[in-house]
Amino acid sequence: MARSGSPVRLVVALSVAAALAVFLVYVSVAGGTPSIQPSQLKGHTGDVALVGKVIGTPAGEGHAPQGLRFRLQDVSGGASVPVVYRGSVPDLFKVGREVRVEGRLQNGVFVAKQDSLRTKCPSKYTPKKKA
Amino acid sequence: MPELGRAALVLCLGLALFALVGGAYAAATRRRRLARSAQNALLAAFGAAAVASGVLLAALLRNDFSFVYVAEHTSLQLPTPYTISAFWGGQEGSLLLWLLVLTGFSAAAVAFARRTGPDLLAWVVPVLGLVTTFFAFMLVAVSSPFATQVAPADGAGLNPSLQNPYMMIHPPCLYLGYVGLTIPFAFAMGALLARRTDELWIVATRRWTLFAWTALGVGQLLGSHWAYVEVGWGGYYAWDPVENAALMPWLAATAFLHSVMIQEKRGMLKIWNMLLVILAFCLALFGTFLTRSGVISSIHSFTQSPLGSWFLGFICLITVGSAALLMSRLPLLRSRTRMESLVSREATFLYNNLLLVALCLTILWGVTFPILSEAVRGEQITVSAPYYNFFLRIFGIPLLLLMGIGPLVAWRRASLRSLGRSFAWPAGIALGAGIVLLLLGAGSSPIGLVAYTFSAFVLGSIGYEFARGTRARRALAGGSWLAAFAELVARNRRRYGGYIVHASIVLLAIGIVGSSAYDKVKEQKLSPGQTMAIGHYQLRYRELVKRNGPNATEWRALLDVRRGGHSLGTLSSGKNDYRAEQQVSNEVGIRTDHLTGEDLYVITDQINKDQSINFKVLVKPLVNLIWLSGFLFFAGSLVALWPSAAEQRRLAARYRELRALARA
Amino acid sequence: MTGLAIAIGGVLAAVCVLYVALPFLREPDPASDLLDEPGALERRALELAERRDRALGALKELEFDHRTGKVSDEDYRELVGPLRQRVAEALRALELRAESNEERVRAAG
Repeated sequence: MARSGSPVRLVVALSVAAALAVFLVYVSVAGGTPSIQPSQLKGHTGDVALVGKVIGTPAGEGHAPQGLRFRLQDVSGGASVPVVYRGSVPDLFKVGREVRVEGRLQNGVFVAKQDSLRTKCPSKYTPKKKA
Repeated sequence: MPELGRAALVLCLGLALFALVGGAYAAATRRRRLARSAQNALLAAFGAAAVASGVLLAALLRNDFSFVYVAEHTSLQLPTPYTISAFWGGQEGSLLLWLLVLTGFSAAAVAFARRTGPDLLAWVVPVLGLVTTFFAFMLVAVSSPFATQVAPADGAGLNPSLQNPYMMIHPPCLYLGYVGLTIPFAFAMGALLARRTDELWIVATRRWTLFAWTALGVGQLLGSHWAYVEVGWGGYYAWDPVENAALMPWLAATAFLHSVMIQEKRGMLKIWNMLLVILAFCLALFGTFLTRSGVISSIHSFTQSPLGSWFLGFICLITVGSAALLMSRLPLLRSRTRMESLVSREATFLYNNLLLVALCLTILWGVTFPILSEAVRGEQITVSAPYYNFFLRIFGIPLLLLMGIGPLVAWRRASLRSLGRSFAWPAGIALGAGIVLLLLGAGSSPIGLVAYTFSAFVLGSIGYEFARGTRARRALAGGSWLAAFAELVARNRRRYGGYIVHASIVLLAIGIVGSSAYDKVKEQKLSPGQTMAIGHYQLRYRELVKRNGPNATEWRALLDVRRGGHSLGTLSSGKNDYRAEQQVSNEVGIRTDHLTGEDLYVITDQINKDQSINFKVLVKPLVNLIWLSGFLFFAGSLVALWPSAAEQRRLAARYRELRALARA
Repeated sequence: MTGLAIAIGGVLAAVCVLYVALPFLREPDPASDLLDEPGALERRALELAERRDRALGALKELEFDHRTGKVSDEDYRELVGPLRQRVAEALRALELRAESNEERVRAAG
């Protein structure tokens, strides 16, 4: 009745190996997005996720033809970069808030991907989701 | 009064330390009175924590702004229910709630287990004491809710989007879950420390685990519902680290609930069960840690708060300590029983475990990857929804299928012939459903179609199980179908309660698939009087109204909804501008079709100066099944949890006659 | 307020300390302070009891599955024999233990 070598161990090993293989293939193909601050933008030419603090006076609207234009600064202060964004603007967006937006640097201006603007939780403890 | 609060916390810390040190010494040297004394210390710790909580609650209700915590989280105009919920709305208060629930559960666990296993309890007490010591220490030395100040005129108030009933129940519910997982962990470690290889720790904590798991599940659904109606981006789960923080321990606990049954029935997988309970508890701690430190946003923001380092240190201590303990007891736990067949209920439970743990670990990887990549490369690499959704599909869809296969397969070994007979009806139902769905156009999403077909299979197999169980019961005892059904469920609560829970998970899956694979989204800018069409609906933007509410200016766009020529009423969607907090919140308009479970979801994205509005409208089929599944989930868990007199007697007899045997 | 706080705090502390010391106060001079721990004998008995319960449970479940039609007649016939044997063995092992215990008591007492 009982097999001499345990099938359990074999099944476990094979499953783990299979899962790992799928996982690694996916991660290496799809990859993640580097999440960087304005001061680190220089080296990157591809799509990145830019994280920073909104400063200055934002102009325009997300759905206007010119889009929403604002400046993003490093969270700890310092370098900043102008951003052009088109799409939905989350409620929490305002000056001083930490936001995350995807896109790429083009001619010194960060051109954002449509609808990729997210705001970070303002409070340390209570989680607030992004729009 | 803050002095009383502080004193109560110090007392709690002292008692917890005594339970830890005294309890450990008593267990190691087998001193009965000292062990009992340590137990009492744990019970007394609950009293102290209760007093501290009472002080904070009283201060909140009194609007005593000399308490920094009260001033930071409430205001004079805040309605009383939200003033109460501010107890757990901030860092310090939520830790106090953790401590209160922990000491409460510990007291209850000790009280219940006193009779059945005093020697096991002797080792459980120091473990509970250790966890209680940590939280009490945090509250006394690092993050106290009883800091005082010169009372300002008014408090800062509660974040407006937290002012709704969901945010009152959601955190405590999750805490019942997180903290609840401490009990099985403590008993498991107690069993290892006591060098016990029997099942007493499982038997003693089975209901605790089920309870904690249910609380975590319901808590997450509440949170998702809040996100859906309050935050209003059209979804209910964003794979945010704080959401994953609750999902991971829930998945580990789900795996544990199933594999524990294998240990009970076959005496196998003892080591695996230990690993799972350690994983579940560590993930619960990790989840608590994630939601209160900024570690995910940046490794640098994490170091700004001392709380994070302490938590991380404690998690490392628990992980390393329990792993080391497990390794030292490894020879004791090895079982000689082998799994007889790859086609048996044990095997399906094993596959289910592997899938659940795999999903849990991939989520864990996704959550911690940014921190690790930043530590290694100096740059954060984040993964988002596509990563998680990919793995959810890869692991979730087979899991769905297994939920249908498991109940149909017998323990030990199932011959292909009996399998074939059992599968016939459910497979037939699934095939039929699949064809019907294909004809209805579900083929637009192949994954959706597969998921639906599997769901039909599971529901078919559950229905089939209930049907043939009722039929057999009726053949045995006679009576009406209803009586037989009730009798069947009452006599086999765990099995049929479990089936009900499975059915709820299938409903959840159907709701998720419907609202994500078959949803429609449309963005359009409308001026007053204009119409847009989406799916079967036509929406006409009638007008924009403004209202000055008590603490916000409310803008609402009124839309007339029509479908197939009939008017479905008016929907209002807009924004609230909270003057005091200088914050705008989205107030989405949702129209629920109670017959089909479909939602028409209107987001007022941007209100322009000329009163035209950029709308984002979604049609989400079957989304309300998700919320409905929560009720069924709760009901099923209740059935499975319900104590069975016969079982209690049998277990009590088992441990009683053994004590008699030993003493004789 | 502070006076009241001190009073309540004092009472709380006193009650807690008293409660913790209770086992020692109740039995200042007990016959045995040893914590009941299952010896090797009891552990073995527990193991056997669990084995018995497991075998009984499996048998009961097999009957149930057979009645509801999950297990076919052929499978039932194949499985029930060995299971019944297992139950019998477990019951016998426990009986032997009980007998040997009684003998030990008679010999000692």
